[in-house]
Amino acid sequence: MSTLIEFKDVVKEYKSGDHVLRAMDNVNFTIDEGEFVVILGPSGAGKSTLLNLLGGLDSTTSGQIIVNGEHVENFNDNELTKYRAKNVGFIFQFYNLIPNLTAIENVELMKDIVDVNIDGNAVLDSVGLTGHANQFPAQLSGGEQQRVSIARAVAKQPAMLLCDEPTGALDSKTGVLILNLLQEMSNNKNTTVIIVTHNAILAEAADKVIRIKNGQIEDITINEHPKKVDELEW
Amino acid sequence: MAFLGVFVFAGVGGESVGLEVSVNDYYDATNLADGWIYSANLDDDFVDDVNNLSPTKDSERQLVIDSVADFSNDPEITLHFIENNTISKFYLLEGEDVNVSDEDGVWLDKEFADAKHLKVGDNISFTFNGVTIEKEIKGLGYSPEYVYHASDSSIIPDFNKIGFAYLSYKAFPLSDVPYNVLLVDFDGSPTEYNDLLSDKLDGDYNSFVEQSEHPSVSQFSEEMDQHKMMGDIFPVVFILIALLILLTTMTRIIAHQRTQIGILKSVGYTNRGIIFHYVSYGFWLVLAGAILGLIIGPLTLPNLFYPSMSATYILPEWKPAWSMNFVYVAVLMVLSSLAVSFLAVRSISKENPADTIRPKAPKISSSGFVEKLGFWNKLGFNIRWNYRDAKRNKFRALMTIIGVIGCTALLVSAFGMYDGMHDLKEWEYSQINHYDSKLIIDDEASISSVDDIADEVNGDKLMEGAIEIESDTAKKSGSLLVLNDTSLVTPTDYDWNEIEIGDDEVSISQKMADLLDVGVGDTVKWHIMGSDKWVSTKIDKIHADPISQGFVMSADKLEDLDLNYTPTSIVTSEHVDKNYSDIKAVNSMDDMTSSWDEMTESMMLLVYILIFFACLLAIVVLYNLGLLSFTEIEREIATLKVLGFKTSALRRLLLTQNLWFTAIGFILGLPVGYYILDIMWQSSGDSFYILPSISISNFILTAVITFALSILVNLMFSRKIKKLDMVESLKGVE
Repeated sequence: MSTLIEFKDVVKEYKSGDHVLRAMDNVNFTIDEGEFVVILGPSGAGKSTLLNLLGGLDSTTSGQIIVNGEHVENFNDNELTKYRAKNVGFIFQFYNLIPNLTAIENVELMKDIVDVNIDGNAVLDSVGLTGHANQFPAQLSGGEQQRVSIARAVAKQPAMLLCDEPTGALDSKTGVLILNLLQEMSNNKNTTVIIVTHNAILAEAADKVIRIKNGQIEDITINEHPKKVDELEW
Repeated sequence: MAFLGVFVFAGVGGESVGLEVSVNDYYDATNLADGWIYSANLDDDFVDDVNNLSPTKDSERQLVIDSVADFSNDPEITLHFIENNTISKFYLLEGEDVNVSDEDGVWLDKEFADAKHLKVGDNISFTFNGVTIEKEIKGLGYSPEYVYHASDSSIIPDFNKIGFAYLSYKAFPLSDVPYNVLLVDFDGSPTEYNDLLSDKLDGDYNSFVEQSEHPSVSQFSEEMDQHKMMGDIFPVVFILIALLILLTTMTRIIAHQRTQIGILKSVGYTNRGIIFHYVSYGFWLVLAGAILGLIIGPLTLPNLFYPSMSATYILPEWKPAWSMNFVYVAVLMVLSSLAVSFLAVRSISKENPADTIRPKAPKISSSGFVEKLGFWNKLGFNIRWNYRDAKRNKFRALMTIIGVIGCTALLVSAFGMYDGMHDLKEWEYSQINHYDSKLIIDDEASISSVDDIADEVNGDKLMEGAIEIESDTAKKSGSLLVLNDTSLVTPTDYDWNEIEIGDDEVSISQKMADLLDVGVGDTVKWHIMGSDKWVSTKIDKIHADPISQGFVMSADKLEDLDLNYTPTSIVTSEHVDKNYSDIKAVNSMDDMTSSWDEMTESMMLLVYILIFFACLLAIVVLYNLGLLSFTEIEREIATLKVLGFKTSALRRLLLTQNLWFTAIGFILGLPVGYYILDIMWQSSGDSFYILPSISISNFILTAVITFALSILVNLMFSRKIKKLDMVESLKGVE
């Protein structure tokens, strides 16, 4: 498998007045294509910062982020927007669907930003939402909304799915279903899935586990035989 | 905003009320006559008869006669030889009081004296009926009969050429003064008095003019009507605008404080405390603004208008006045903003604090019939999103549209006014009248010398005069124009097409026909002012004229009606700058158009004020509501940005909505503006006939301004989109 993502000596500092906060301190790791990666760490460890940097929402203070051979850290605002549109599928804790648009419209919305032909119904079918296409987000349950959000993310066939606590707002049963879906995406469609969570149990299902603490990599583990999500003990 | 609204309302209102108060005080102080009885022979018996009529309170005889003062430009001075100084009193500014037994003194028009650099103590001589008298100036001042005083041919008085003077009857060269006007003060209505006069004293006098028909009084009251219209319509429009702006601002500020209100609640503030805090915050600001507006408005704005008016009208004092209405409006303004902020805060404070701390939850949208239509699925995301957003936020959409309607309506009426004034000038001074010079014939001129002058300048004679027309339903004063086959004055229809009025035809102007409620084929009665000979005429044609309403006919027709044809002016296409003894004045077309421009100056000022407010309105309303919606959809925008939408695409998203609302508001605003314009022209006085219209170029300008403002406001938001911190806005909820 080829390397999709590479972080080299990445540093991120936030300045507030005279005070400098180092949220990311010399971080190095690689992620391969099609990997199912779990990033673990307590609150404030720098998980979100990592995700923001990788997702092109924020820029580094120093270091290199190489995705598909491109240096993301050099991108300007416009290039970052293009990078996000083409490479990154976001899945948020609170779904962030557009309330004005129906499920299928939320998915087909992606036609406006990428040059991919999207069959909204087919994508919704693939996340198990057959029959909900014309409902508005407010009419759907949390789990259903998260599925729409996954459908929206995968519809544009991005290089990676970035999931920020995707089950944080869901009950555990629904959460398992969602995680299961994400794992299938990774296994069957060879999509790189990166999940940020503080739930350590999920580590057993991952191909690769990256643990961070205080802005530094604590440990990187590779599971030769990851478990299925629904085999985990919750 | 409260300040601005009340400021304009009270200011413009203060001007119009002030005019009324100023002129009424003046009329009261000088005891302006209630009526004037004109007669060639006002002997003592007649005066006794009038005094014996029960409503008559007082009367005073005068000999009013035109004279020429001894200056190189032969200024025309109207002399009043008076018996006592009780009615229409001379308003003294300098010198000694009027002495009705002073043989040598004259009390002169101050404006004329200033124009000629005359002072109290100087001597001045007047010539009338071949007699010259020389008198010493004893005093300078004004007269209530000369608030408006212009020569026959120009609209703007030129005090170098025209004036008046009061003298004692003893100053008249003959001991037997041929009095020709009896000024009367009476009780009851002028109509009743007129009926009584014609009943009891028919044949003993020529005509009776009531106060409101006196040229100076009626001209000034027409002007006051215009200002009253300004003082009635515009302040109301402004107040509504200010209110709209105030309300949107209040709603926005409070919506912005949503989270804070939630925090205050969760730390234990009572609902009442919170409501009180936020409502009082707005209340004091609005109250302060309103009070400031109430005070400063009437003090400043009237002074903006008065200078241009005092060129035309002479009043001893121009003072702004104050009316309780201003206070009511200010109170209304304060109360409504109070109510809106109260409602807004209450709706938030009623919510559970846990919900309040979070941004407002989106409302559930449902599919309407539009979504079921076949083409819906073919529409782009942009349109779908905007459609649903507007549907979900009807209040915001409505306010935006109302704001744009207001802006468009103001612009249309402002530009329409501008165009109207411009058209009027073009119509009157180049379509209807296309002579170069107009020579005003002296009253004493002989027919043969008039003919000689007409021949010399290759001119055509015409007769103009004031008439009174009566139909079954109304009685109106108007003007008479008698033409003698001239190509220099050509009546037109309302489309400015020249119309032919035959030798045996009488044409009435459109406005006069409307006022009298008559049409072609109807018969009306009329008489020339100053004569009580009434004639009946059938109307054969209708013409349109922007500034003079009445009849147009040929000299033959006039004589057919058994009236004398006495030319009053000669028009010629040649430029005349020579003085003739039988010509009172020569007016060139340039003089007339420039005096027109001068008179319309205050109108133009109003046009600029309107345009300014229209723009202000559009910007503030669009910005306020834009900001309101931006806070609501900030999260959505951030999401779209994260998903990879470019800033330009997001800007387009917001722009689309703005442009839609602007387009709707613009289309709806056009008829509203047109309607305001129509009301304005209709209330501009009986003598004006202007059709509400707006030129293509100004129409385009209106559209350009409206849409440009909309785009400008959008640009303000594009900066916000660019700076929007995606990470922060998405985190907000957690």
